[in-house]
Amino acid sequence: MHKWICMACDYIYDPEAGDPDSGIPPGTPFEDIPADWICPNCGVGKDLFEPYG
Amino acid sequence: MNPRRIRDNIWAVGTIDWDRRLFDDLIPLPEGTSYNSYLLKGSEKTALIDGVDPAVEQVLLDNLRSLGVEKLDYIISNHAEQDHSGAIPAVLEAWPESMVVTNPRCAGMLTDHLHLPEERFILKDDGETLSLGDWTLQFFLAPFVHWPETQFTWLTEEKILFTGDFLGSHQATSDLFVRDEAGTLFGAKRYYAEIMMPYRKKFPKYLDRIDGLAPEIIATTHGPIYDRPASILEAYREWSSDEVKNEAVVAYVSMHDTTAKMAGHLINALIDRGVRVKVHNLTGVDVGELAIDLVDAATVVWASPIVGVGPHPNAAYAAFLANVLKPKVKYTAVIGSYGWGGKMVEQLLGLLKNLKVEVLDPVMVKGFPREEDFASLDGLADTIAGKHRAEGLL
Ligand SMILES: [Fe+2]
Ligand SMILES: [Fe+2]
Ligand SMILES: [Zn+2]
Repeated sequence: MHKWICMACDYIYDPEAGDPDSGIPPGTPFEDIPADWICPNCGVGKDLFEPYG
Repeated sequence: MNPRRIRDNIWAVGTIDWDRRLFDDLIPLPEGTSYNSYLLKGSEKTALIDGVDPAVEQVLLDNLRSLGVEKLDYIISNHAEQDHSGAIPAVLEAWPESMVVTNPRCAGMLTDHLHLPEERFILKDDGETLSLGDWTLQFFLAPFVHWPETQFTWLTEEKILFTGDFLGSHQATSDLFVRDEAGTLFGAKRYYAEIMMPYRKKFPKYLDRIDGLAPEIIATTHGPIYDRPASILEAYREWSSDEVKNEAVVAYVSMHDTTAKMAGHLINALIDRGVRVKVHNLTGVDVGELAIDLVDAATVVWASPIVGVGPHPNAAYAAFLANVLKPKVKYTAVIGSYGWGGKMVEQLLGLLKNLKVEVLDPVMVKGFPREEDFASLDGLADTIAGKHRAEGLL
């Protein structure tokens, strides 16, 4: 599964870890995250993430 | 400002703002600034690259008319921010056949900010081109220099790159091309520090792409044009790298001269140990200069008295600003004096969560510092010099 990076703050979404604090369980591919999810670090939307690595 | 010829059929048509003294209601502009806009008269099509601040849009319109622009085909928007896009509605109105050419994200933001009609856009994605007849424009996405929609426009045949705000300089000058290189670089550093620095990790990739194009000229939206772009590219390489310098910023504020005495002692102790020191009194500070000094520094020391039970608000303001600007500083420490207690150290450090710093032991003194307190400041200077030495900076 691919990692994604927040273009605004450089937070890296790692699908292995998910984002449990925002209700995204470990193992969730970025594509499957709900559209209203925001960067847990800086608050911008999914559209400002790009594939990382 | 009247139109100025860059090359045959290529004109600077923007404006110089000699009087502007504050940008974004935040950063002082001792040298003023400019809003650059460029006109390309191709053999078939005429294109304008970026607009100007809406306050001076009439100058842009007059410049285009004085150059005999009867038909304007394209307005290329490299950046949706109002100091460059604000004049676009007036241009669209004056040249009703003209179309805004930009990437989809920028089109969305122009629509958000200026309520431009959808039918006036031509969308171009990364790497796509636009023909002006004898010339070809190519567009490169460069997100977050310094908004998400930013892009570069490459005039292929002339090897001219239009980079929007990226590499720009806050400098009002009559020089069309950079002739006071030190002045332009300082204005560029002011600009970088305020708006580019938070996104610096993306820049090496963009600089590689620019190097690959090998532009003869780089024309930005602020400041004079680079006809010898090597030095600004080199400066951006250095500023955006992870390399820090043997510099400590000491940012202080003092109510009864007690914290100032502590800061003064630390400053001297650092100088004695070979550390370069950049000092800012946070009362009445030029935050642009503070930001400039944060670009390269390895260490920042915050010196503040406790006001009530927390930091002096001027120190909190500066720390908040530093947290937004995300400099590459590696070490930080808090020093200060207090009368009865408080949580200043925790509160100031809590404002710096974005900084990837090692926090050095604070030196907090009840009342006026005694001999052992000055010794603690010497100890802090030893620690800072030791860290710089371990980094190979000293
Ligand atoms: Fe901008
Ligand atoms: Fe700008
Ligand atoms: Zn983010």
